[in-house]
Amino acid sequence: MDNKFNVKAPFSKYAGMSKKDKVKATSEFLINNSLYIFMIAAIVIIQIINPMFLSVPSIINIISLSAANLPIALGIAGCIILTGTDLSAGRIVGVVACVSASLLQSDGYANKMFPSLATMPVFAVLAIALLIGGIVGLINGFCTAKFHLHPFIVTLSTQLIVYGILLMYLMSGNNNGQSISGLDSSYTSLITGSILSIGATAIPNFVWYSIAITAIMWFVWNKTKFGKNMFAVGSNPDAANVSGVNVTLTIIAVFALAGVMYGVTGFIEAARIGSNSAATGLNYELDAIAACVIGGVSFVGGIGKIRGVIIGVVLLRIIFVGLTFLGIDANMQYVIKGLIILVACAIDMRKYLIKK
Amino acid sequence: MNKIICAIICVAMLVSLTACSSGGGSGASDAHVFYYSYSDTYISNVRSALGRAFSANNIKYHDYDSNSNQTTQTEQVQTAITQGTKVLVVNIVNTGSDDAAQGIISQAKGASLPIIFFNREVSDEAVNSYDKCVFIGTDAKEAGHMQGEMIGEYLIENYDAVDLNGDGKISYIMFKGEEGNNEAIYRTQYAVEDANAILTQNGKPELMFYDASNPNKYLVDKNGQWSAAAANEYMTTALTSYNEANNNMIELVICNNDGMAEGAITALNSAGYNTGDEKSIPVFGVDATDAARELIKNKKMTGTILQDAEGMAEAIAMVTSNAIEGIDLLSGTDDFQKDSASAKLRIPYSKYLGEDL
Repeated sequence: MDNKFNVKAPFSKYAGMSKKDKVKATSEFLINNSLYIFMIAAIVIIQIINPMFLSVPSIINIISLSAANLPIALGIAGCIILTGTDLSAGRIVGVVACVSASLLQSDGYANKMFPSLATMPVFAVLAIALLIGGIVGLINGFCTAKFHLHPFIVTLSTQLIVYGILLMYLMSGNNNGQSISGLDSSYTSLITGSILSIGATAIPNFVWYSIAITAIMWFVWNKTKFGKNMFAVGSNPDAANVSGVNVTLTIIAVFALAGVMYGVTGFIEAARIGSNSAATGLNYELDAIAACVIGGVSFVGGIGKIRGVIIGVVLLRIIFVGLTFLGIDANMQYVIKGLIILVACAIDMRKYLIKK
Repeated sequence: MNKIICAIICVAMLVSLTACSSGGGSGASDAHVFYYSYSDTYISNVRSALGRAFSANNIKYHDYDSNSNQTTQTEQVQTAITQGTKVLVVNIVNTGSDDAAQGIISQAKGASLPIIFFNREVSDEAVNSYDKCVFIGTDAKEAGHMQGEMIGEYLIENYDAVDLNGDGKISYIMFKGEEGNNEAIYRTQYAVEDANAILTQNGKPELMFYDASNPNKYLVDKNGQWSAAAANEYMTTALTSYNEANNNMIELVICNNDGMAEGAITALNSAGYNTGDEKSIPVFGVDATDAARELIKNKKMTGTILQDAEGMAEAIAMVTSNAIEGIDLLSGTDDFQKDSASAKLRIPYSKYLGEDL
């Protein structure tokens, strides 16, 4: 990238430019950062109309809604970095949520799915949840890497298969297609309980888990060999192969890790909502993909930052909360979301082309 | 390696295919049943009740999942007709207009097959357009009316306890299941209108939507799934600015179905309400799912409206068996409530406030 386009260029350089260059540099700056500008403008406008928007409870609400959606987005981001996608994510969240909930219904709950089953230890169920997610992810990765199929096709198939299994699972035991609720307090207190409150507002525990997972993912992406391989395979699999990266293994691992992230999301989701049905997880992957591309994780491959994913997730939640606060028609949410995705990707591509 | 895996996948596919076909009973089925969506909890109740009723009557049947997609359903019906069925039992997907129902009726007419619509309503004109067509369902408006009446009566009895900030008005939040669905529209409208009618009769002011800036006076599940997750996220968000600390707490929660009620209750739980002790906001739903009944028994929820899945299944099985035997479709159904304008059987709703069923 030419220096005069660099937004981080020191001010002295900017001062030394001709007037024409100054205008150009300013407009470049505005375009490249339009998403952040939009985000700040949106916050200011919503805050002016409804001053409750930036109150402590509201901010904690935005943070906790974002935290619930962060793991799935972090998982799917890896698939996008490989120029892939993952359509099965939402359904995996759904099946994990239902399985977790069914294994952790409190003893004596009248509509227990498996009445003879004592409530299992929470961490055993967490392990099962991660395992289910991991296995489906592994299948996604394996088919993508071994059969050289586009992940769109593979994950479309697993999405359908997982949904079918979920519907069958919901009809099993005593459940009869009902939503699964009546969760044991050991589970709900672990997820939605709170060890820290700000003022009168409790911060749900899953926020901390989500932060921890984000930190781990940051480490994996930036500090491990696997992370570096992922970016290498994403930007050019042939070159990566020549330089000794095991492309197949990397693809499988990225999808399996993504699956584990969906497992985490599902495990949190079940306790957070408290009522789990076949609709749980529907279309979550689309929100997650949208969050990633808004945050600059590019379908071009090999490009993306954890920071970007977080910003994308938070921005989508701000839109949701903001429009609810403003009492704006739900239909407008679709329009605004669509426009943001379009603009974000256009800016992203523009940066990429300049680089080229 | 790849060849072996491919072979394994092929075998697995074949096994699952044969397993599935043996599950539905061998040979051609007499009744083909098209459900609008397997993911709906109430419809799942009807599905298992109907399965039992059909088996008890020795009727061979085949179930379809239309997955909330009218195109899928219409194609499934088409295929079932070519496959040879004696009766079509259809839980129509699109209720907004008559076109979908008319399309299916004309297909049935072409093959002169009897057709039974259930649960999701089709218009009188559609039912009257074909002599072998029957609708079995509830009166969509009744659930809303009944919910409104239940809310009104509850409020009159507990007015001061519900009015937390003592301003003399009850502020409420309303969760709508989906846009463009008649049941959702009626429930959203009548629950409030009828409750208001009872309140004004007793000299109380009308209900007040918690957020004066929202012209719709409801919050809707954008995915049209009537989902707990949607209600939960709206409720959590609303509670951040409407609470007792601000003296504007939401004092009443009305939901189009029990799933949404459950989601709202989870959100209230996180804020320290509706955990079974004194501090509780009244929550009303519709469907009387198992989970909702349990919540009501534990004093975490206030009331719901029972949709009788067993009664519905019984009526469908009776009419189906008439259709297969080739006698008058409505013979033997005198016990059921009937419409005068067209061949429609009505399964009554009832209020549920925690009594044993």
